[in-house]
Amino acid sequence: MSENTPVIYAEDLVKEFGPVRALDNLNLNIAPGEVHGFLGPNGAGKSTTMRVLLGLLRPDSGTVTLFGGDPWRDAVQLHRRLAYVPGDVELWPNLTGGEVIDMFLRLRGKYNKSRRDQLIESFDLDPRKKTRTYSKGNRQKVALISALAADVDLLLLDEPTAGLDPLMEAVFQEVIHEAKSEGRSVLLSSHILAQVEALSDRISIIRAGHIVESGTLSELRHMTRTTIEVETQRPAQPLAGFSFVHDFRTEGERSVFEVDGDHVQEVFNDLAGLGVRSIVAHPPTLEQLLMRHYGEDLSARGVGTETTKKVS
Amino acid sequence: MGTAPVSTETRQAPRPSAGQATLSGTGTLLRFMVRRDRIRTTAWVLGVAVAAFYFANAIQLIAETEEELRALTTMFADPVGRMMTGPGFGMEDPTHAAFFSSGYVLYLYILIALMSVFTVVRHTRVEEQTGRAELIRANVVGRHATLTATLILTLVANLLAALLMWAAALAGGFAAEGSALVATGGLAVGLFFSAAAAVSSQLSESSRGASGMAGGLIGLAFLIRMGGDAAEIGGSTLSWFSPLAWSQQTAPYVEDRWWPLLLPAGFAVVLLALGYWLSTQRDVGASLLPTRLGRATARPRLGTPLGLASHTLKGSLRGWGIALLLTGLMFGSFAQTMVDAAGDLPAEMAQIFAGEDMMLGYLAYMALFMSVFIAAAGVSALQQLRGEENRSRAEYAMSAPVGRTTWLGVHLTVLVAGVLVILALVGAGMGVGAMASLEEDGGQYFGELFLAAVMQTPAVLAVVGIVTALFGWFPKIAGAVGWVFVGFGGVMSTFGQLLDLPDAILSLNLFGHLAEYPVEDIAWTPVLVLTGIGVVGVLLGLLGWKRREINRV
Repeated sequence: MSENTPVIYAEDLVKEFGPVRALDNLNLNIAPGEVHGFLGPNGAGKSTTMRVLLGLLRPDSGTVTLFGGDPWRDAVQLHRRLAYVPGDVELWPNLTGGEVIDMFLRLRGKYNKSRRDQLIESFDLDPRKKTRTYSKGNRQKVALISALAADVDLLLLDEPTAGLDPLMEAVFQEVIHEAKSEGRSVLLSSHILAQVEALSDRISIIRAGHIVESGTLSELRHMTRTTIEVETQRPAQPLAGFSFVHDFRTEGERSVFEVDGDHVQEVFNDLAGLGVRSIVAHPPTLEQLLMRHYGEDLSARGVGTETTKKVS
Repeated sequence: MGTAPVSTETRQAPRPSAGQATLSGTGTLLRFMVRRDRIRTTAWVLGVAVAAFYFANAIQLIAETEEELRALTTMFADPVGRMMTGPGFGMEDPTHAAFFSSGYVLYLYILIALMSVFTVVRHTRVEEQTGRAELIRANVVGRHATLTATLILTLVANLLAALLMWAAALAGGFAAEGSALVATGGLAVGLFFSAAAAVSSQLSESSRGASGMAGGLIGLAFLIRMGGDAAEIGGSTLSWFSPLAWSQQTAPYVEDRWWPLLLPAGFAVVLLALGYWLSTQRDVGASLLPTRLGRATARPRLGTPLGLASHTLKGSLRGWGIALLLTGLMFGSFAQTMVDAAGDLPAEMAQIFAGEDMMLGYLAYMALFMSVFIAAAGVSALQQLRGEENRSRAEYAMSAPVGRTTWLGVHLTVLVAGVLVILALVGAGMGVGAMASLEEDGGQYFGELFLAAVMQTPAVLAVVGIVTALFGWFPKIAGAVGWVFVGFGGVMSTFGQLLDLPDAILSLNLFGHLAEYPVEDIAWTPVLVLTGIGVVGVLLGLLGWKRREINRV
């Protein structure tokens, strides 16, 4: 495998479960050393993608490679180089957390004992408790520690922090940064937007089995809108006429509106002439990115646009 | 509220009658349970009913005349027969009705007991273990509502089963009172074991533990009454320690006595009270038996695929092994009784069996009978593998560099090794039991008895092979088909000669093909064919597992 072989490569991947098209021409490309955020609501196909990558499911059509190999055929060799954290982890109820961690580390081969102990301490896990007594968060810690302490090139993390508290979330961010600095690749699926935003080099947004947008966060920002809240001496109303200004609302001197990412400069020029008293500009959040994609979906399903707006 | 004058309403609110509060929501929960169980429980009840109808009518077809019936009763009247069926009331002057109640009803009772235990555990401990109980209890649902609704559901299922049994017996043309006793006896057994499961569900944190404890009690009750009923016609003192024997002590159609049913009824009340009380002594999801801290690091062998497989399967295999070893020891220890009994046998049987042949024939049959249970251990272990898949643990394990073939291969290795060890233990148990009980030179039979059990291996392997093949290709039906083979084998081994079935159906009983060593010479054809089925089945299973998707929804 050459330097440039993508760690994960999927093209036009299709997977159907009966009448349901779980993956619909999915494309995904992850380079070595990249932390890739995989964003989408429940049921969009994130876990199905993970399970195809693990060689548990066989795609109906399309190409998928992992380190240049076939995830179905070469599963064992490929699994030596990756570690997986399932979204909803069920562990062996009468093993302790420590035993599960050790079992996985040994099955995966090389590992670092002190790294294991250090992670157990950072995540504040009691490894002597039977896993049946663990909460969801603690089970996730077990899976995370056994993945992070392993000497692997790729981490497949399926909503790894859904059960973690904010403190542990911070620990998680730290260890993912470490993994990144060690040159590991990470596929991080999530619907927690802030987390993906903070960690990822690139992001793919999946909706109904299809990647609707993919790129670095700044690339994606071009496709989205900045929200501006401004108090001006003279009415800002004229701005509402521009085609790149949306959702203009005004209340006395205060106006709130959204500007297309690539027209921010023009709006600022105009605002300068209106006598700005205060201004707050919000960068586009991933919520907005998502809402633009799922918003249409929601209205198509008959959910009122009003509801959609409230959510955003 | 604060210092404001307390209204009548608020004053009353904190102290509604305790009963009402702890039971609120029972009705809703019950409707919900009926909805969830509409197929499963109906199938159980109908299963019991169909078996009852079949048994009640089949005898009259198999043995039309009194002479034929008399010839058949020797099967139930000798100690081995009594061991397998009950105290044998009225067998000295048999009627079809008495034959029905002596020979078959015990197995209907066991079905009812199993139905009761599974239903209670499924709606109590399983719900807690999966966390669904928390979801329910967060609503306006009283502390005792779940248990009460469960018990009502189980009681209704038992009542229906009892009514259908009564109808079945009446349809067979049997006396009304005796038939009512048969049915009420079933109800009593169901109540007793429902109550026992209500207690075990409080004690163990896992549903397997809870079913295991209550199921173990059924097994223990069966073993105790085996010993008790084999000793004397009409049962001995020992019989009175078995909840399964109480209902049979009513002697339906012969003495028609109702009072023995007071025992299961009384114990059911005590156990129910205990279950309710225990349920108030613990938290939701917790158990009364304490959980201890374990090891912080794994033993070295856990880090291999084989170690993982043996960890997953050893618990249940060990349980089966211990239970069957004890059963083998007990069966073996009846050897002297058999030798003695041969002297008292009716002439037509004594002609066939010399004293020691009688003993060996009995133990050969017991080896066959227990091999059905050993196959059950195999099927239940394979179902556990399906559980590993469904609970996503299989795929999590295989996300490490453990291939599919390796994963299934190591689990099958542990499973087959476990089954072989159990077969050997059963053989050794029978041999040692016989050695201890026989007055003259008991040790000489050890080898033969050990081999008698080990020679059952091909039948067990064939069942394991078939279920493995299905696991590889049609995983959804694998377990069910396995239990059909086991159940069919059990029924055929017990009643095979009595049920007038065509050869084609008889040949489906995998346990009916092997020679009954040591009273018959080993026949190698069935050994090879059954072993072949086993090996091919395992290979097919591995192939299917390698090709199919894991845990596909």
